[in-house]
Amino acid sequence: MPRSLAVTLNALALYAIALVLAVAFAAQLLLDELPCPLCLLQRIQFAMLAVGPILNVRFGPHPSHYAVALLAAVVGASFAMRQILLHIMPGDAGYGSALLGYHYYTWAFIGFAVAIVLTAVLLLFEGQFIGHGTPETPAIRGFERAAVLLVIALAVLNVISTLLECGFGACPDNPVAYELLKRAR
Amino acid sequence: MEFTALFLAVTIVMLVAWGGPRVQALVLFAAALIASVATYLHHASDALKLPF
Repeated sequence: MPRSLAVTLNALALYAIALVLAVAFAAQLLLDELPCPLCLLQRIQFAMLAVGPILNVRFGPHPSHYAVALLAAVVGASFAMRQILLHIMPGDAGYGSALLGYHYYTWAFIGFAVAIVLTAVLLLFEGQFIGHGTPETPAIRGFERAAVLLVIALAVLNVISTLLECGFGACPDNPVAYELLKRAR
Repeated sequence: MEFTALFLAVTIVMLVAWGGPRVQALVLFAAALIASVATYLHHASDALKLPF
């Protein structure tokens, strides 16, 4: 696989992560469902999942960049699995609403599992790593630049949203209102 | 507050990965990952009610 194709695939991964973060935001704003602490941790891991592809876009594909993505995905999958197990007892309605039959944390687990598999598949193509020691950085196109800026913008929006939701204290286990806005009233 | 700090940390890691030195981005990523796992362990205090 040529390095340019690998960089394009990493940019596509960034767009996929941006889509996940945007859907989570849409559910929060449109359905008025505030994310719980475990839900926030899963969102944070999706944002951390973007660091590996950003490094691949900026410096070119490198095995350690894929390792970064794998670590974030494994930790994120563990967080999602914890929340699935919290609601696994028969009769438990789960936390929040369901999307296409699955709760968000189940989708999060599927998303992290897919990320692990796709990252492992990308690692199989060793041709992308040939010449990674060269000093020049690859030329970054608008498509890749937009993907990086989009995912960074969504991370910034999450900083603001989480500050509004939790305020300056501990985030409630089952949040129903934006703490900072409540205090401002 | 800790979740806001974590999101802020991840945003900083992303910005360093995009515009800063590679090694610094990797070190900051490791620190943010450890912080998120520590936050998880701090919050995951409820016993799992598993049927087995």
